[in-house]
Amino acid sequence: MPIKSKLLALAATAMIAMISPSLAADWKPDGPLKIQIGFGAGGSTDTMGRVLANEMEKQTGWTIVVENKPGAGGVAMFTGISQMPANGKTIGMGVSIPVMVQLVQRGDQLPFDLDSFDYLGTVAKAELALVASKDAPFDDLEGMVAYAKEKSTMPVAIMAPPQILMMKQTMKTTDAKFDLVTADGGAEVMKLILGGQVLAGFGSGEQLPYLESGDMKVIASANQSRLSYAPDAKTFIESGVNAYVEPVFFLAARKGTDPAAVAAIAAAIDAAVQSPAVAKIVKNATNGSPLNMGTDGTRKMMFDGLDNAKILFAQ
Amino acid sequence: MVDLSIILAGFSDAFSLTNLLFVLFGVVLGQFVGAVPGIGPIMAMAIAIPFTFALSPIVAISFLVGVNKGGLVGGAVPAILMNTPGTPDAAATALDGYPLAKQGKPLKATKMALFSSITGDTFSDIVLITVSAPLAVLALKMGPIEIAALMIFTFSVLAGLMGSSLIKGLIAAVLGLLVACIGSDPENFTPRLIFGYWDLFDGLPLPSVAIGVLAISEILHRMSESFGRVRPAIEFVESDDPDQDRVTWAEYWGCRFTMLRGAVIGTILGALPGIGSTAAAFMSYAFAKASSKDPSSFGKGNLHGIAASESANSAVMGANLIPLLTLGIPGSVGAALIVSAFMIHGMQPGPLLFENQGRLVYGLFGAMLMANFLNLWVGQIGLRLWVKVVSAPESIIFSSALLLCFVGVAMATSGLFGVAIMLIFAVLGYLLSSFGYSLVIFIIAFFLGPRFEKSIAQSLALTNGDLTQAYQSPVAVALLILSVVSFFWFLKRNAAVEKEQNS
Repeated sequence: MPIKSKLLALAATAMIAMISPSLAADWKPDGPLKIQIGFGAGGSTDTMGRVLANEMEKQTGWTIVVENKPGAGGVAMFTGISQMPANGKTIGMGVSIPVMVQLVQRGDQLPFDLDSFDYLGTVAKAELALVASKDAPFDDLEGMVAYAKEKSTMPVAIMAPPQILMMKQTMKTTDAKFDLVTADGGAEVMKLILGGQVLAGFGSGEQLPYLESGDMKVIASANQSRLSYAPDAKTFIESGVNAYVEPVFFLAARKGTDPAAVAAIAAAIDAAVQSPAVAKIVKNATNGSPLNMGTDGTRKMMFDGLDNAKILFAQ
Repeated sequence: MVDLSIILAGFSDAFSLTNLLFVLFGVVLGQFVGAVPGIGPIMAMAIAIPFTFALSPIVAISFLVGVNKGGLVGGAVPAILMNTPGTPDAAATALDGYPLAKQGKPLKATKMALFSSITGDTFSDIVLITVSAPLAVLALKMGPIEIAALMIFTFSVLAGLMGSSLIKGLIAAVLGLLVACIGSDPENFTPRLIFGYWDLFDGLPLPSVAIGVLAISEILHRMSESFGRVRPAIEFVESDDPDQDRVTWAEYWGCRFTMLRGAVIGTILGALPGIGSTAAAFMSYAFAKASSKDPSSFGKGNLHGIAASESANSAVMGANLIPLLTLGIPGSVGAALIVSAFMIHGMQPGPLLFENQGRLVYGLFGAMLMANFLNLWVGQIGLRLWVKVVSAPESIIFSSALLLCFVGVAMATSGLFGVAIMLIFAVLGYLLSSFGYSLVIFIIAFFLGPRFEKSIAQSLALTNGDLTQAYQSPVAVALLILSVVSFFWFLKRNAAVEKEQNS
């Protein structure tokens, strides 16, 4: 008997494994599919999320509802997702770095970890740049460090915790001193640079019109690799500071969601990410191209990213 | 400089029939949702943006402008008719609007709000269209140190609103600041007072606190005062005087300086990203009261009070577009939503916008002017409707208003968590006002506290921890001196007014 039931179970598993791809094509949400965005209305995550949802709705015919759940860079929203039933009715869209930072800094207080989610895909990668006013007397990170040493200190505008850590790492490596002025988003960083209150600051896309107009220049890429639009600017790593952040816009659902649902939603996201409408909004928001790492790729990106964040933010 | 032909082409794009209809639709929608307690124009724009995907850029942006401008007018309606402002800036309108409505002149009060709102709005639109570029350069020069000084000046002017008890005013302000501390600190993002609730990481949701303290607590008060007899929420006083239901030209013209001052304050504060309409509305109100020959009539239904508040808070919205269009810096949530609509339609606000998209920008300007006129016409009709609605029995009005507040806050904060916070603050607001603490001061402190903290933190970082270096900024020094002067001037004046009242 036990053998028979084991065999039955095995057969059943095999059956499920075999039919699940076709199930994926047939699965559709029971009622509206809710996409929760971990940021407030009007930001780049929100804008991209809404365009993506609109494309998915057009392509699949599902009813999709977009909700904003701002708080702690998406952590409030993922906290909510991690407590919901895994029924494939609600998925979340957020940015990788803020989640990792909170997991590293106060993971013990969070009700979730990276294993609490099934990853569905990504939309784009944000290119984070350190930019300066065109009049700044330096052109790269080494020059900026030398200038800060000469002036004994230099103000730099930042907008999120990872940038604080990157600048702290820079100070530790180079012994230069920077005063970190925390701004409310990239637009305010640009205002501080244009107004001459700071010489340099971080931008994740807001700087692009000023690069085009010649009011600003790129000092360094804060990503792992160089920026697509400024291939001559070195990364922090190339400049001798072992730190980088790689913010990725990704989507995830509660762990344990029906594999057919995960496959169907991931397929819908993938198809939508390839649409011209999403390409246009990604171009406008990040100056990059849409990028979907797929379910496994997204999961790997999150786990690898967390390992890197642990090393970077351990200080 | 933009070519005249581009300006004309832009305006002719704007003045098409399709566009007119969409602006009209936007204005009607905005006035309606603005007037419904709990749902503001921001909410309406957030919902409307996905519906503009299919529209052409100029039509889409005109429509959103219509919603935004309609919402400005609509927002004054619940504040005046029911004393239940949905946003902190409308609370200034309620100070004189509601007393006037209670005197049986609801139409007069709402019409004054409509006219002064459109006057302020048109003023700032004209400033935007004509001199936005030089103004934006000036705004850039206002760094964190100057902004901090400006906020200190704002506080010193608002001290004029403290009311009779300085101690109670201070307690209300400190309580507001304490509540504003909840959430991550503006410098290092360390969570404060969140007790494990990650939803609080970015601070208490503003709609929950504002609607709880300002609207729901007022409804609770009014319910506690009813005696089981059916009565209308607003009582009309029958009168043969036709001027009771309208604003005469003499009354409007009499408020011209008040409105002009409000529009100028609103335009200046609106051009500086991040301070917002609440400060402008209350500052304009405080100035109007201080410069009035009869300051004791404020708070009792003075038309100048409505004119001051509405002209200022509406002027902020037009002026918010100055840093937005010229620099790509949104000055408010409403402006941020317009940026996102721009991006969806392929425009990137910034230094090259006028050069690359001049035609679209002037089309937007045309749509703004069109929306102002439509706002006036739609408002004239809409206000009669709202006044009729509010003259229904209290039991119906209050229960529907409560329902709408619940729904609105649940939508604005995406869930019941925000509703729970709203209820907590409704009870707090009820207790505070029952014991004679000013809710207005509480909400101003809550609203401006975080901005002030942020600018102080930025100034500290910029001056390397030594705030005395502020003397290097002439603007900051001038503002700080003005603050000291105005603080004592307002205190003295308040004391004089009180003496007069007592004798």
